[in-house]
Amino acid sequence: MSGTDGLALATRGLRKSYGSRRALDGLDLSVPAGVVYGFLGPNGAGKTTTMRVLTGLVHADGGSVEVLGQPFKRGDRRRLFEVGALVESPTFYPYLSARANLRELAASGAPVSAKRIEELLDLVGLCDRAGDKVQDFSMGMKQRLGIAAALLSDPKLLLLDEPANGLDPAGIVAMRDTLRTLASQGKTVFVSSHLLAEIQVMADVVGIIAAGKLVREGPLKELLSMQGVVKVRVRPNLVDAAIATLAPLAPVERLTETDREEGWLSVHLATDRAEEVNQKLAGDGIYASGLESGTDLEMLFLELTGGQGTSSGEGEFVGLGSPNGGQNGGAPAGKGTAA
Amino acid sequence: MRLFLSGVRKLSRRPATFVTFGLLVGLLVLIVIAVGATANSTVGNSNGAQRGVAARDLLTFPGAYNRVLEFILGLGGLFAMIYGAAIAGSEWSWGTLKSAVARGESRVRYMLLTFASIGLMIAIGIVIAFVVAVVADIIGANLAGISTSGLGDTATLGGLPERLLKGWVAVMEEAALGFTIATLARSQLAGIGAGIAFYFGESFASIFLPDIVKYMPFSVANAALSSGSASVGSGGSVIATLPPDEALLLVFVWLIASLFVVALFSDRAEITG
Repeated sequence: MSGTDGLALATRGLRKSYGSRRALDGLDLSVPAGVVYGFLGPNGAGKTTTMRVLTGLVHADGGSVEVLGQPFKRGDRRRLFEVGALVESPTFYPYLSARANLRELAASGAPVSAKRIEELLDLVGLCDRAGDKVQDFSMGMKQRLGIAAALLSDPKLLLLDEPANGLDPAGIVAMRDTLRTLASQGKTVFVSSHLLAEIQVMADVVGIIAAGKLVREGPLKELLSMQGVVKVRVRPNLVDAAIATLAPLAPVERLTETDREEGWLSVHLATDRAEEVNQKLAGDGIYASGLESGTDLEMLFLELTGGQGTSSGEGEFVGLGSPNGGQNGGAPAGKGTAA
Repeated sequence: MRLFLSGVRKLSRRPATFVTFGLLVGLLVLIVIAVGATANSTVGNSNGAQRGVAARDLLTFPGAYNRVLEFILGLGGLFAMIYGAAIAGSEWSWGTLKSAVARGESRVRYMLLTFASIGLMIAIGIVIAFVVAVVADIIGANLAGISTSGLGDTATLGGLPERLLKGWVAVMEEAALGFTIATLARSQLAGIGAGIAFYFGESFASIFLPDIVKYMPFSVANAALSSGSASVGSGGSVIATLPPDEALLLVFVWLIASLFVVALFSDRAEITG
């Protein structure tokens, strides 16, 4: 595989079909070492299939995978000794305790010390419940135990599928901190999620997949800088004039009225051009009463994935508001991310 | 070795282990004690003499050793098949196989060592059930007023280890069948249901197709321990069976074939869900 130096994980032309349904259609991922990589995609885009292929649970029809700099083919299962994974929902023996489950899981794959199990139970906050049967655990507790299970072998590469599922807010923050800490220690964390806000605050690099193909990949900051939003508020009767004034700064499709009655406009520009927007308006005698700038992963995601739920069989959640899923004009610019 | 020991630890804590074993031993003790308590009262009834002879046969040592063992292995075979199906099916439906594979464990090794741990549990179960059954038989014999002087018969006792070993292999073959069906079905319930259907289906088919059924897994398992060339079916009909040595060979064939299917399917299966 060429061009994969310095990558913890790379796929090239990965293909996988389930019957006539194509789940992966030539997926090329490049996950640098030592980062938190956010793997995003709509339902049915191929995220879980990718995770399954990367953990040897299903076999790809074509393409190649490289894990920690080495080819990962069928039969190379020992490559996974350095990989920790939580694929789909965490799975355990319901009649065993949390501690016993980790101990029995540790009997497979790479050897793990008993001390490590206790450390992980402590890390995920399950020390007090370590002796309780997993069948009595809540979903969030199972999820925490699943994260502990993924960390059993102190992996260099961690693959997590929707790790925030079922976690309470404190659990999500703790999980995020843990993953950031792992990345700071040089480990690579590959997180598949549909929680864009979570990925936006956690990931260094993002890959967006749609219909089994990678549609965008790169450092999050870089991607978001191309997806900046400047929101400006003028008097409602000056909205049309403001649009005309700002037209030279941005193409018309990137200039939207967010709320005409309140006088809010959104201009899709790099956030460092907010001052320029203000200056331009002032130059034409239109004074802004409000100005916000920020970036929006959600906007980028919807733009790249076409705002579709899926194209491969899981159906589409249309929503009650607009048939296009809030794409473009209806999208809340700068939502939750105002700088 | 750690995977095998892990399998044993998991099974030793699993409710299915205790339920299956408890049912087998409970039924065994209940029947033997009931036979002992009623052995003498059946003499005056119609067919009572015949039943009395059968009851005394079950309670009279040293022959009781073999009767009890046949009883354990007969009923135990069905229970072992259900047990094997429950264990294999849960590995798929609970997703625990998935977790092990994602850690880099070999699917084939995992499944075969899981079966090996079942084998150890079955061996322990047979020995304990046999000891409990012998104790129950002694109690039953005392209740029936039958002498237990044959308990120490050296010839019978000397042959017991070999019969226990053969019985274990036969029960393992039946467990392997359940294990295989559940692996193919990827489900505990489907595995157990299909296994039971197969068990009774084979028994039923023996009425119409005795020359074929005698080669089938449950028939060869029973024949491997029998002393004659025919056995009595549930309806009282005489069913042709294979000679014990030939049957034992076929038991091995079924056992190995079942495990081969498990290995092949596990290796190729797509682990989803």
